[in-house]
Amino acid sequence: MLVYILKRILYFIPTFFIIAGLTFLLGTMAPGDPVELKLSAGMQSSEGQGQASDKLTGEKAYREWNEKLGRDLPTFYFSVTSKSYPDTLYRVLRKTERDNLERLIDRYGNWPQIVAYYKSVKALESAAISLSIDASDSTAFSRVKTVRESCNNLYRHYENEVNQIDLDNIKTAVNTSIQVKDSSGNVINYLALSPIKAQADAVFSSYDAMKQQATTSLKYVPAIHWYGLHNQFHRWLFGDVPWFSANTDPAKVSKGFFRGDFGDSYLDNRPVNSILRDAMKWTLLMNFIAFIIIYSISIPVGVSLAVKKGTRFDKAMTASLFILYSVPSFWVGTMLIIFFTNNYYANWMDIFPPYGLGKIGPEYTTWAKITDRSYHLVLPIFCGVYGAFAYISRQMRGGMMSVLRQDYIRTAFAKGLAPNTVYWKHALRNSLIPIITIFSSFLPAMISGAVIIEYLFTIPGMGRVSYESTVALNYPVQFTILMFSAILTMAGTLLSDILYVITDPRISFTKREG
Amino acid sequence: MSQEQKNKKPDQSYWGIVKRQFKKNRLAVWSLRVVYLIFFVGIFADFLANEKPLYCKLEGKTHFPVLLDYGVSMGLVKMPPELLNVDWVKADYESVLRAPIPYSPLTQDFDNAFASPTKKQDVTSWRFRHLLGSDQLGRDLLSGLIHGTRIAMLVGIVSMSIASFFGILLGAIAGYFGDNRLQVSRVTLLLNVVFVFFGWFYAFEARTYIMSDALSDSFGSFSFQFLISLLLFLAIMFIPNLIAMLFKGISFLGKPVTIPIDIIISRAIEILNSIPILLLILSVCAVVKKPSIMLIMVIIGLTGWTGIASYIRAELLKVRSLEYIEAAQSLGFSEWRIMLRHAIPNSLTSVLITVAFGVASAILTESSLSFLGIGVQADVVTWGKLLNEARSEVSSWWFAVFPGLAIFVTVTVFNLLGEGLTDAMDPRLKQ
Repeated sequence: MLVYILKRILYFIPTFFIIAGLTFLLGTMAPGDPVELKLSAGMQSSEGQGQASDKLTGEKAYREWNEKLGRDLPTFYFSVTSKSYPDTLYRVLRKTERDNLERLIDRYGNWPQIVAYYKSVKALESAAISLSIDASDSTAFSRVKTVRESCNNLYRHYENEVNQIDLDNIKTAVNTSIQVKDSSGNVINYLALSPIKAQADAVFSSYDAMKQQATTSLKYVPAIHWYGLHNQFHRWLFGDVPWFSANTDPAKVSKGFFRGDFGDSYLDNRPVNSILRDAMKWTLLMNFIAFIIIYSISIPVGVSLAVKKGTRFDKAMTASLFILYSVPSFWVGTMLIIFFTNNYYANWMDIFPPYGLGKIGPEYTTWAKITDRSYHLVLPIFCGVYGAFAYISRQMRGGMMSVLRQDYIRTAFAKGLAPNTVYWKHALRNSLIPIITIFSSFLPAMISGAVIIEYLFTIPGMGRVSYESTVALNYPVQFTILMFSAILTMAGTLLSDILYVITDPRISFTKREG
Repeated sequence: MSQEQKNKKPDQSYWGIVKRQFKKNRLAVWSLRVVYLIFFVGIFADFLANEKPLYCKLEGKTHFPVLLDYGVSMGLVKMPPELLNVDWVKADYESVLRAPIPYSPLTQDFDNAFASPTKKQDVTSWRFRHLLGSDQLGRDLLSGLIHGTRIAMLVGIVSMSIASFFGILLGAIAGYFGDNRLQVSRVTLLLNVVFVFFGWFYAFEARTYIMSDALSDSFGSFSFQFLISLLLFLAIMFIPNLIAMLFKGISFLGKPVTIPIDIIISRAIEILNSIPILLLILSVCAVVKKPSIMLIMVIIGLTGWTGIASYIRAELLKVRSLEYIEAAQSLGFSEWRIMLRHAIPNSLTSVLITVAFGVASAILTESSLSFLGIGVQADVVTWGKLLNEARSEVSSWWFAVFPGLAIFVTVTVFNLLGEGLTDAMDPRLKQ
């Protein structure tokens, strides 16, 4: 038996890594740039306009945040790409720029030329930012702005037609001159943007080079790059702070999933684990109460139905339990809220609070706290309970019925035991085993159900947090909850399997594995 | 087929017995009738509730506007210019035959905002009453429910088709081959592993941008591109098996290796089962830029195959040791052929049970998602979305009652159908 349990626990490990991998994969596909989101919350985005110093500090902050979040690392232990991709593309931090470079690679396939072009655009942009314009040409400002905006467009677009327009804009801006009088009074053509002309020409020539020296065939040669342990996935799970020695590097901040560090929320920078701790409290409390109610009602109901098998009472109850199981909880919840939380239809119907958990002030006594909380939790718990209650009652009835057919029950009756003793003492014990272990198959449904019930009744539990983070694209919270619910479910399954083996010695381990 | 013959004697074929058992269960028979009704409403939704008349005569010309819409959407005909700006509800027809419900789900009727089904409504005749009420823009609830039926039906069909395909195939492989019957030669295994990589690379990795561009275009063109990728992948996977034929003769390379396929598939089922589907779909919808109802159907299908797979796995575990399978083996048929042609068809009927339950849970999942307002476009009307409208206005009880009732009836009917099939196919009841 010990071997079986150990084996089950060992199976858990690869399963965990597969789920972690899938969750991480989802995370990498998430659109948007969290660092940009973080920075733009603090200040207005200054791309294209703004002062040169703004732009530089912005770049610096951007770089620092990326390092803090570990986004300057390669994504996974290895990457499989085509040979036209460089293995260092992850060093381009901005996702929009990186995506655009990937598009260019897909189109032209010649990384050396593409990177030359990319660098020339960068050089032109920084030259345009640091260009000081003298007062003799007041129209030059708008032209410098054109150059910078065009550069920004070039970072974002890969379509040749779009880029040609921006290149033409740069060309006109750089080559526009006005006539001014020089110190000796002669009228000359003055090129205000002549200092950046060399950089602009470099952009034009490198763009043409990239277009002409395309090596699209490289796209069809696969290449594998190995990055080792310094990658985002590894950092996410294990962190980059050393496990057993003191942390000397202030740049290393992440402890990793295994040490309870799930990152920070994008919205308010709160650590995800503190958000989860607060949310989990409510979901666990509600499910715990629900669990007790379900079992304490459905076991007697199931037993009495099995005892009265075939009677009209049994038939009616079984059918209605089956139908009750099909009633969607969000429908019941909506109806309860509409009809029983306000006095629109009748004064007596305003029985329950419509949402939330109520406010508990310091003046409340313990008893007042408990009653107020339970008053708020009645409807949500009811919505979460009845489906599982119907299901487990039916299971209990089935289990009890198969036990009642067995010989030892007949023996018990034959030796003259009171029927109630037979049912509640001898039969119940054996039919309980599958019912106790059935809860594991209910865990995913309960977690999913929590999303809807907590959304309906505005209860700040895991489900509500998960819903809100989906709407707000708050990925760290979202994916941590996904991971947690999967782990919880697997742990539940593991526990119920082990319980099953422990409680029922008749079960053979070897057969169960096959 | 024997059930088609009209014998005087009771039909003793498997289907005949199942049918007789099924007909004894009155609840299940009624459920089946309701299912037919749901399908009917879903298919003919456009003819049942539409602001456009089925037939009308306008300025001396006869039109069939509803049929015309079908023609336009299929690209067969063009909308006549005189019909482009017609107010269908209030137009001055010379003669007209309207749909039973003369409103489309999005038709606005501001005279009758929040019209209650039980109170007086501001309509010209009873024909235009909002039978089940309307919302704050005067959109008819019954019309929304009728068109929502189509979505619910589609959810059931699409997701269960995907789930059945994967479930039957993977479950059958796991059950039929088990852990020690799937044997391939070393060279085949090696070449296949290598070529899976190449197949993935050329069919999917190299076509990433083609597919992602198609996805942002429309789901249809994405499906088309995905199909091309899939065919390409299958074509590439054909190569190693061809090459392996040549090398099988060499004793070292031809030595068989046993693949514990049952463990692999059972583990995959366990992993999928441990992820709460609603949370998974929430996460996927957060990642995808434009989530659509189609995407949700596909995810439900891709995650919902585990139930069918476990079922058919258990069936094939029984079937594979039956005598007729041994007979087929001794005739020298290949294992795959026996599995596909002889073992799977024999256990397909029982899959119907899981499919019936699966349709119920798929509809439930989709309606709870659209209730949460996730993955539904603004112009699509679903039951869950209608139910959620009740939350914005306490007084409109009809939005709380009817859409939920529709979901409840549909889910119950499919569950009852599954239950009825289970009872009918239970061999213990056979007489």
